[in-house]
Amino acid sequence: MKGKRIIEVRDLYKIYQVGSNRVHALNGVSFDIYKGEFVAVVGTSGSGKSTLLNMLAGLEPPTKGTIQIAGKRIDRMNERQLVAFRRNNVGFIFQSYNLLNTMNGIENVAMPLMFRGVPKAKREKQAAKYMKLMNVLDQAKHMPNQMSGGQQQRIGIARAMVVEPKIIFADEPTGNLDSHTTMDVLHLMQRLVREQQQTLVMVTHDNTLASYADKQIRIVDGKIVSLEYGERGLEIEGEDAEAEKQLSLGAGAQQPQQEEGEPETASRERKEQGVSENE
Amino acid sequence: MKFKDLLGLSISNLKRRKLRTFLTVLGVIIGTASIIVMVSLGIGQSELQMELISASSSLTTVSVYGGSSGMYYSGSSQSGQSEEPLYITDEVMEQFASLPHVTGASPMLNYYVIAKQGAYENNFNLVGVSHEYMENIPLGEGSVPKAGDKQLSLIYGNMIQRDFSNAKTGEGYWSTGEEPDVDLVNRPVFIIFDPDRYYQSQNQNQSAQDMTGAESGETVQPVTPPKKYIIPTAGIVEGGPEDWNQYSYSVYCDVDALKSQLKTVFRKDPIPGQPTNKKGKPLSYFVYDQAEVYVDDMDNVKEVQDMITSMGFQAMSNVEWVESSQKQMQAQQAVLGGIGAVSLLVAAIGIANTMMMSIYERTKEIGVMKVLGCDMDNIRDMFLLESGFIGLMGGVLGVLCSYLISRIINALYLRQQMQEAAMYGTVMGDISRIPLWLVGIALVFAVLVGMLAGFFPAKRAMKLSALSAIRNE
Repeated sequence: MKGKRIIEVRDLYKIYQVGSNRVHALNGVSFDIYKGEFVAVVGTSGSGKSTLLNMLAGLEPPTKGTIQIAGKRIDRMNERQLVAFRRNNVGFIFQSYNLLNTMNGIENVAMPLMFRGVPKAKREKQAAKYMKLMNVLDQAKHMPNQMSGGQQQRIGIARAMVVEPKIIFADEPTGNLDSHTTMDVLHLMQRLVREQQQTLVMVTHDNTLASYADKQIRIVDGKIVSLEYGERGLEIEGEDAEAEKQLSLGAGAQQPQQEEGEPETASRERKEQGVSENE
Repeated sequence: MKFKDLLGLSISNLKRRKLRTFLTVLGVIIGTASIIVMVSLGIGQSELQMELISASSSLTTVSVYGGSSGMYYSGSSQSGQSEEPLYITDEVMEQFASLPHVTGASPMLNYYVIAKQGAYENNFNLVGVSHEYMENIPLGEGSVPKAGDKQLSLIYGNMIQRDFSNAKTGEGYWSTGEEPDVDLVNRPVFIIFDPDRYYQSQNQNQSAQDMTGAESGETVQPVTPPKKYIIPTAGIVEGGPEDWNQYSYSVYCDVDALKSQLKTVFRKDPIPGQPTNKKGKPLSYFVYDQAEVYVDDMDNVKEVQDMITSMGFQAMSNVEWVESSQKQMQAQQAVLGGIGAVSLLVAAIGIANTMMMSIYERTKEIGVMKVLGCDMDNIRDMFLLESGFIGLMGGVLGVLCSYLISRIINALYLRQQMQEAAMYGTVMGDISRIPLWLVGIALVFAVLVGMLAGFFPAKRAMKLSALSAIRNE
């Protein structure tokens, strides 16, 4: 069983201007993601993994390089097109759940459908289906502040799935959960990918969590340093896996280092500090 | 996104900060109410003024005068052939009635008479008018004589009765403070149609007594006192002896009945007050010194007035008065409305401030919505709806408030009016009047101001970065 390529990233750069320093958050990244894959982007804080996710979801524009999702060049889209693109193709799971406090559970899940203009009765039926799948149907009438973190994140996952997107992005989805709930949520996501044939891209700093993925993309200092495949990942990509490695690692290695030594490291550290302050 | 869902989102957002929403709405309430109350005062004042004008005389009436010496002069010099002064005759009345926009015309034949009852007498102008004219007189007692009734009958003004004075002592209500013993309705009133001869005969009696036979050589043709006629009373104008209106001091009768009465009184003799031809002979027709022409609409009064003036008559109406007072009132209304508008402007700033606060507070939420694919226009519309809703609520409550305030003002004004009315007659009415169109305009304005104030905050919300959803606090 071989999957279709759903995401193609080529030679992606993101350079921030911090004061007088240029910070290379992403420094020439290339990879592919196949349909039905559970991909983990692993890296320490400030490695550029979050920047990568933001660009995949169209939240920030890349400085250079191309991103193609489901055959569309999202690096060429304007903000309006990006919003519409996300509405129709992308689900998103946040670290801090980001449920709307004014809405109850089922309304939160149904919200992306509301953005699509689906009538209330229909969208709540759909929402109930995914809440049941996530085992939180009993929270339908509860407000977010009446739920535990695990329940909120399950609602969050149901919300990402309710539009039946081509791809789901998850940004440290278990970052705010205790270890027991973390495993719970992780298993749920795994099941979701396998049973619903969803594509999931998860960003995490935790190697253990990443090991549950079909494919791990490890990023250090804005570059891919390794690709690791799980059993299922190899099954999906087959012989493409080797070419993948060539593309991601080789292309990255061939990129000339423009900035070297002290200044770059220093500035990157500054960025890391900035990021960690935010977290 | 469906409009219903947008509306639901906006309302739930307003609900979550109830106090803040209330305070912002309060600003709009004050703004709207102050505009409405201010403008209503302006409207009330100008309408009161109009009522005052129309109480003293009709706004759609043109008064026409003719036959004056001035008219005679201009008439002869302009036409060069008209020897006779320009009289208002029956023929002219027909011309008036056939003018465009004219609904009717009434001659006014003023005739000076003396009325007697018992020891009391009174002299006044008898005004002969058309049947239509009489029908517009508000009567307190009796009824208007039937059209075509040949018998002369009179409608007395409600202040006439008190004006009777004792013929011997010359004292009346104004010197003694006592109501004269006169009943115009139940006891017969004698009318003397030839006051000159009446006075002559009175004087003659006196002088005869003074010098009895002293100068018998002079043969003075004795003047016989004129005949008195009992003229029935048809009615009394509405109101007590102190309620003044434009009919209070006059006595009205049917012009045709008056003419036939005068003909029977004077026969071939000239009727006093009526002009004569060059030979001093009475004319074969009656000449009216005044006429009233009724116009269908106030806007056409000026036109009709000009037409009558061009026919050579003097025409007067209230149009100029009304126009100038209206202009003045409009300026006053603009000032009052402006004062009200300032407070609505302050309310608008309040709305803008609230919306900005709300956006800062919900930055993350807006980011989440954008990440989940909420259209940017929808986000803008959501905030516009919220601010528009604040405007609408403030507008509706402001309208209710202004009705309340208006009532209070009117109640206070009424008390003051009563005091004034006790001292000198005045037109009673509300000083603050809220027409329906004002309510409509105020509501639309409040919503518009709300949305306008929310426009820039909403645009800002629309442009907020979706990235803010990712940042963790």
